[in-house]
Amino acid sequence: MIVAEQKPLEEIRRMIAPYERVLILGCGTCMTVCDAGGEREVSFLHNALRLAQTRSGNGSHTFSEYTVKRQCDLEFLDLIVDRVGDVDAILSLGCGIGVQAIAERFPDIPALPGVNTSFMGASKEWGVWDERCAACGDCRLAETAGICPITRCTKGILNGPCAGTKNGKCEANKDMDCAWILIYKRLERLGQLEKMRRYYPPRNFRAIPRPKRIVSKASIGVGENDG
Amino acid sequence: MGNSNIKNYQASRVKEPSYGHGFTPPCQAACPLHMNISEYIDLVAQGKVMEALQVIRDGNPFPSICAYVCTHPCEDACRRGQVDKPIAIRALKRFAVEFGGDRMIQLEAETTQTEKVAIVGSGPAGLACAYYLRKLGYPVTIFEAHSEMGGMLRVGIPQYRLPREVLDTEVQRLTQMGIEIRTNTRVVSLELLFDMGYKAVFITIGAHQSLRMGIEGEESPGVIDGATFLHEVNLGLKPSLEGTVAVVGGGNVAIDAARTAVRLGANKVGILYRRSRTEMPADPTEVEQALEEGLEIMFLVAPTRIKRKNGRLSVTCVRMELGEPDASGRRRPVPIKESAFTKEIDTLIAAIGQAPQTPGDFHLRVGRGSTIQVDPVTLSTNQTGVFAGGDAVTGPATVVEALAAGRLAASRIDDYLQHRYPLVDKEEQESLIGDLLPKTVEMIKKTGRLEPPIVSPEARTRDFKPVELIYDWEAAVNEARRCLRCGMGAEILFQDKCATCLTCLRVCPYHVPYLDDSGTIQIPPDQCQACGICVAECPAKAIVLRKPYDRRHITEELEHALKSAAESKFKPFIVGFCCQYGLFGTGALASLWRGAKAGIWIVPVLCIAKVEADHILRAFEMGAEGVFIAGCGEQCAREDTAFWVRQRVEKVRKILVQIGLESERLQTFVLDTTNEDPAKELDRFAERIGGFYLASLIMQEVKS
Repeated sequence: MIVAEQKPLEEIRRMIAPYERVLILGCGTCMTVCDAGGEREVSFLHNALRLAQTRSGNGSHTFSEYTVKRQCDLEFLDLIVDRVGDVDAILSLGCGIGVQAIAERFPDIPALPGVNTSFMGASKEWGVWDERCAACGDCRLAETAGICPITRCTKGILNGPCAGTKNGKCEANKDMDCAWILIYKRLERLGQLEKMRRYYPPRNFRAIPRPKRIVSKASIGVGENDG
Repeated sequence: MGNSNIKNYQASRVKEPSYGHGFTPPCQAACPLHMNISEYIDLVAQGKVMEALQVIRDGNPFPSICAYVCTHPCEDACRRGQVDKPIAIRALKRFAVEFGGDRMIQLEAETTQTEKVAIVGSGPAGLACAYYLRKLGYPVTIFEAHSEMGGMLRVGIPQYRLPREVLDTEVQRLTQMGIEIRTNTRVVSLELLFDMGYKAVFITIGAHQSLRMGIEGEESPGVIDGATFLHEVNLGLKPSLEGTVAVVGGGNVAIDAARTAVRLGANKVGILYRRSRTEMPADPTEVEQALEEGLEIMFLVAPTRIKRKNGRLSVTCVRMELGEPDASGRRRPVPIKESAFTKEIDTLIAAIGQAPQTPGDFHLRVGRGSTIQVDPVTLSTNQTGVFAGGDAVTGPATVVEALAAGRLAASRIDDYLQHRYPLVDKEEQESLIGDLLPKTVEMIKKTGRLEPPIVSPEARTRDFKPVELIYDWEAAVNEARRCLRCGMGAEILFQDKCATCLTCLRVCPYHVPYLDDSGTIQIPPDQCQACGICVAECPAKAIVLRKPYDRRHITEELEHALKSAAESKFKPFIVGFCCQYGLFGTGALASLWRGAKAGIWIVPVLCIAKVEADHILRAFEMGAEGVFIAGCGEQCAREDTAFWVRQRVEKVRKILVQIGLESERLQTFVLDTTNEDPAKELDRFAERIGGFYLASLIMQEVKS
């Protein structure tokens, strides 16, 4: 799941300053789950912005709010065409993908990000989220006992641990587990410690082009047939 | 006809009010009158006794009577019994009736119908039927053979259980409604009633005839049956009982007779019962109280022969043992051979059961146990226009069952007189049947049941004054707060909005929500404790409480307070979200309620766990200079409520700071953490807010 956190209120207020009528648009999928931009957060931000406006005495925004099921697919955005007809900007509480989808679907309306899309991760407990995947496009979890050194090691090294590990924690942050110690312990448990002894060559980041695209459909030309 | 007839029909039906939540709590389902028990219990917990009484009166024609003598099947069904002990529903009703001012209530009714109805018998069924028919606008006459009204309520139930003033008040109210009452009038012929112009007759003559023991010497002087004994005492005769009295039987009448004998001055009173204590049909509380009063109960003993000698009775008894279960499901007593023994006593009261005695001239079809046979749906007898109900139909039963029969009869007689096909009441709501799971029970705070005070055995056996006293305010509130609010819990109303984020599952203090096999979140309604935490935390706003009132309550109260505050000239103003239970229930927070001059506007909330961050922001937006949340702390019947409020407060504080408002403008007072008088805390808070307000005024001056 994509994890994000709401931008500071001041930043949002600066961002929307030029626009009078602002639609605060939530997203009912990842942003709801990570508590950054679901219907409750949309309503909370709406109330907070109105309060800020009343208290500061400057700004004459009119706000509206809505939450779609998923902002990253244009079909969902088709459902709000009527709601965006008279807005000057859309403040999206979707992830960066959602903001871009809005920009693409409504080319004449400024799309503003209300959250900082932070990482792909999972919730550890209520109100706590941890990063788990860097979307590197070259998954090595089979060799690292299901623990990703790219995201969970501060250095992202493929042949760890480094000399900075101490009592199972990382030298960069004493509260953070050393990913390579975790990998070692789990490989030991699985009886696969030989995987630690191998050397993994550095990845060639130049070979990974951006933006990436995955095409799962086969390209079938008109007129072709199986026979 | 057509449509208008249907409308008329619906308007005229004796209807139970519906409060619109999804499930009928077990207490309500068990009550023959289907009273909205959870509603009035909650109102008592909030300290709203008059509203509680209103709800009680909506569902019960004579709440003051039930408050004394109801056998409370609701308490047997109460699911709190699975946690510790059931809620003391009857005693709480008595509290609401007394503190809510039931005595002051006046009733009126207008005659809108022409068909006269005669009611034969003035027991609870007759009175209830008269009450509801009168409300429907019929001219009603009650015929009572005795000199006073009330049937068994008058002649059967001893005064220490039901003071006669209570019954008199209810009868008085019926007269006020315009019901004609004819006492000392025994109806001998139904034809005569029809000749007198009555269009329908309701027979509710009760079950006053005592069953005979069928043993030798039963006719001897000094042997009396329970019903006759109680009749005589209750109608003012004061038989002098001296020496030893034995009562035969194990039902409520036997206990009543025995306790009455104690009060009449008998030296020694004992009960002979042929089974053991577990099989005793009498109310266990009554049995307990009887034992406290010095009564002796001999179990597994039955009399076989009575002989009168020298002015005393010599009773031969045998000992019994319990054999196989009989038709009633109780184990059948079997005499033990050669166990006979003799007891010397002065009086024997036989209270082994009663049956109706229907005059043969009524020409009614009578069935098993001399009960009148009726159609179970229409309550009509074999004679046109003649209906029957109460003990006369069911055999000896309870007051509340009789009231329910009377209410149903009113409805059916109305159907008959209006030439309508009687509609069988459909269960409008799904009943809640599931038991609490052990893991839910484990998480529920255990609080013992509080019983109302009772008079000491020494004092109460001296006269016929009521044994049980009324709760004081605090005890009543604390008892009422134990209610688990069955069936009013949270539900995922907008399944399409649910992102299955698992927030509800993680925040629930009772571990109620779970993921089913298909990966959908389920909140089982029979486990949910309706604390409202998941409702306020759900990031998709997909969860609501089942009771519509719970959903809009805070918003409505807040808007009301904000409007009043805006209209008031006192500035600055502070909004306080206060636990209603603490404010007016236990009164622990009552000192927070100040006059308008103080500029403190209280929004009473039914648990602070339901206050959302949006409510707090809204108060600030509408001009509040400070907001506080006051919870009842350790008194709270629910778990974790203060924790979740603090979470929301911290979230709002962060926003306040970003806007340029001091985070101290938002405070939480929860009784247990501070151990300080909340009033003092509020004073200090108000002072600080006043300071902030002045500072902001000065800043504005400087700017301009």
